[in-house]
Amino acid sequence: MSDVLIDLQHISKVFPPDTVALADVSVSFKAGEIHALVGENGAGKSTLMNVLYGLEHRDAGDIVFKGAKVDFRTPREAIAAGIGMVHQEMLLIPEYTVWQNVVLGTEPVGMFGTVDVHRAREGVRRKIEEFQFNLEADALVGDISVAARQKVEILKLLYRNVSVLVLDEPTSVLTPQEIPQLFGELQRLRDKGHTIIFISHRLDEVLSLSDRVTVMRRGKVVSTSASSSLTKQDLARQMVGREVLFTSRRSPQEPGDVVLSAHGLSSSTVEHHSALHDVTVEVHSGEIIGVAGVEGNGQFELVNAIIGLIPLTSGRLTVGGRDITHADILARRSLIAFVPQDRGKMGASGAASILENAIMTHHILDPSFSIAGGLGLSHRRATAFTEQVRKQFAVSMGRVGDSFHSLSGGNQQKVILGRELLLETPFVLMDQPTRGLDVGSIEYVHELLLDLRRRRRAVLLISADLDELFMVADRIMVMWQGRVAADLATDATSREEVGYYMLGGRETAHAETSS
Amino acid sequence: MRKQALSGILGVLAALLIGALVLLLQGFNPVVTYAALLQYSLFSTSGFAATLTRSVPLVLTGLSASIAFASGPANLGQPGQLIMGALGATLVGLFVRLPTGLLVPLCILASLAGGALWSGFAALLKRVFAMDEFIVTLMLNFVADYFALWVITYPLFDTSASSPMTRPISMAAWLPDVGGVNASVLVMVLATFICWLLMSWGRSGYEWRMTGQNALFARIGGCKVDANYVRVMLITGALAGLAGGLMIMGGPHRFVKGLGANYAWDGIMIAVVANNGILATFLYGLLFSMLQQGAIGMELVTAVPSEFIDVLQAIIVLVVVAGRVSLNMVFDKLATRRKLREESKE
Repeated sequence: MSDVLIDLQHISKVFPPDTVALADVSVSFKAGEIHALVGENGAGKSTLMNVLYGLEHRDAGDIVFKGAKVDFRTPREAIAAGIGMVHQEMLLIPEYTVWQNVVLGTEPVGMFGTVDVHRAREGVRRKIEEFQFNLEADALVGDISVAARQKVEILKLLYRNVSVLVLDEPTSVLTPQEIPQLFGELQRLRDKGHTIIFISHRLDEVLSLSDRVTVMRRGKVVSTSASSSLTKQDLARQMVGREVLFTSRRSPQEPGDVVLSAHGLSSSTVEHHSALHDVTVEVHSGEIIGVAGVEGNGQFELVNAIIGLIPLTSGRLTVGGRDITHADILARRSLIAFVPQDRGKMGASGAASILENAIMTHHILDPSFSIAGGLGLSHRRATAFTEQVRKQFAVSMGRVGDSFHSLSGGNQQKVILGRELLLETPFVLMDQPTRGLDVGSIEYVHELLLDLRRRRRAVLLISADLDELFMVADRIMVMWQGRVAADLATDATSREEVGYYMLGGRETAHAETSS
Repeated sequence: MRKQALSGILGVLAALLIGALVLLLQGFNPVVTYAALLQYSLFSTSGFAATLTRSVPLVLTGLSASIAFASGPANLGQPGQLIMGALGATLVGLFVRLPTGLLVPLCILASLAGGALWSGFAALLKRVFAMDEFIVTLMLNFVADYFALWVITYPLFDTSASSPMTRPISMAAWLPDVGGVNASVLVMVLATFICWLLMSWGRSGYEWRMTGQNALFARIGGCKVDANYVRVMLITGALAGLAGGLMIMGGPHRFVKGLGANYAWDGIMIAVVANNGILATFLYGLLFSMLQQGAIGMELVTAVPSEFIDVLQAIIVLVVVAGRVSLNMVFDKLATRRKLREESKE
């Protein structure tokens, strides 16, 4: 337990132009331990592991593995040396079975270069038995749960005989009920002599699972210590650099009139979208409705249906009394502020300037942006508006003409939030507004959400983070397979109950907890 | 912007150096060659005027491609649109009898309409049948080519000519020379200015650029991306058509076989080198025109074949485009070093 297996020495990594992701980071991992790497988003945990794994190239520093300097240029080399990494996004082929996915890339080959099916399947079966993974080798990956898919990812690496497993936020895709099982399996792996490096920003699970914890903040190592000597408060303080509150800050407030009324929304399956089935939501002014669910259960489709990106087969949608069931996107945007989950894909153009990103939609809806009878855009007005966003939303940025992707993730999100909230619409639609942000920015967004509630706007908040929903939402709606599985008052429910519905526990829509 | 100007100038200089090396290897004197090139394109009155006139189709088709590529649509139909524009101007010039003050604008309108008709057809196929404009505009180039050949060989054939061409258009539609420079140059400069206004200050230009960079973002932002697509196709087609019309009205005054030559393809190349910038397209258009015009003088004075200019153009394209990317990488590397040094001082 005491010998050092991997020694990262003075690693530095800069993302041009000037983002220092890692600044002189030194950590050592011992053989046969579960070592948690914690820190806010953007602290450099994933980057550090990507450097080790050969996915990113370091700008300075050395990696010592089993006493010798190594330099993996690709993940393939890292795996060959015995280090494997499971990323947040799973890279499996849903049409293939479990064993096919596991052997893919290292298939045992029979005569004439064909895959030796029997040998491959038996090999995978033996591994499943050896590690007591509750998996069926012949099941289609598309049919099994997210938790099971994660096991397949781990199995893939074990099949390649890695001795070190790096897991990047493995619990972020799991429901509360699935987490203990994963932890049991990881502990079994450790007891068999594997070394596990576990990236997370969830403090409870870090403390319950790991032997040692390294805390990172802003590209630097804050401390490495034995988990048994730490409390959750210690970790949070080290991560953020100050005290953090874990309690709800919602003040009691009576909701007002109905603002968003979505009644019986249904959609057919288009491309990769799953269908919506009779989804009904009401959001009142001065109220935040949270939408929970395992990813891919219709939340994204609900968002797209409200904003007008996918057609409805039935149902009625009104905002502030205006029927927008058949309205075009522009008409909807005068009533709906929308913060999408994916900044790069839907929320902004990275190549454009900050100003160009800030004025979108305003350039149509706000007549003061027009010059020459609507033909031209007023640069003066656009600049003043961008400055207003900067000031009001505390964006740290250079000039308004700088490119949008020169901003940090948190500042990008602030520009988008500023743009959307300054639309002054009665209804605000937020799809995972804190995804990928650091703790400081997350707190900022939460404050913003509560402020919107105080100012009696209606907010629909889709989130994969239950803590977030419990902190700010008045009610939590759980989606499962395109339906509303439950509609719960936040103060009268628990994480366990929400998790139960997230797994499709009961199918009674609109439980009797309505207020 | 400053970075782009720097990489452009460095790229062109580097390309000229490589060109000089090629000349040396072939046993030519690069100094004499380049001097002849400049003499016949810039430093003689007639050469300079010819350079400007030649730049008209290059710049206009370049602008067409630049605006299309920056806004999303892969309009590669400039050659066909140029021909249809030229045909439009020819038809009006042949059959409409009006005084100059009216006929010239009418011919210009006809050339705009001819080009827009051709790109509009591609846009229509995209909207109705979801056919990709990338392939449709390319194929329509051939259709325009053979259609024009048929028109000038049969219905509009000048019976006194020995090869396919139309009769000359009405004198009233000829563009005069103003101070030694053909008036088509003025129209081109005006068109460039309007394009610049549109893309830098116009609401449409903003929406088009955003759509070109991230169509979903623009759509969610409330931009009418479908209508904008059609507008971009029509306007870029009209620009290429204008190039054709001005070639008729300023040059041979009739539709001659092989009229469009390679101008439109060069224009597309210019848009790529200019990274779809309006001002950059204008400047590279002048540069390429200068090289092509100078090639004639170079061939007169030296033994260097004019094909060398094709080589030089290709080198410029490669060096500038590749240089833009690698220069950015160099800037990034420098920034990385600086940052690391700052960090270690802390």
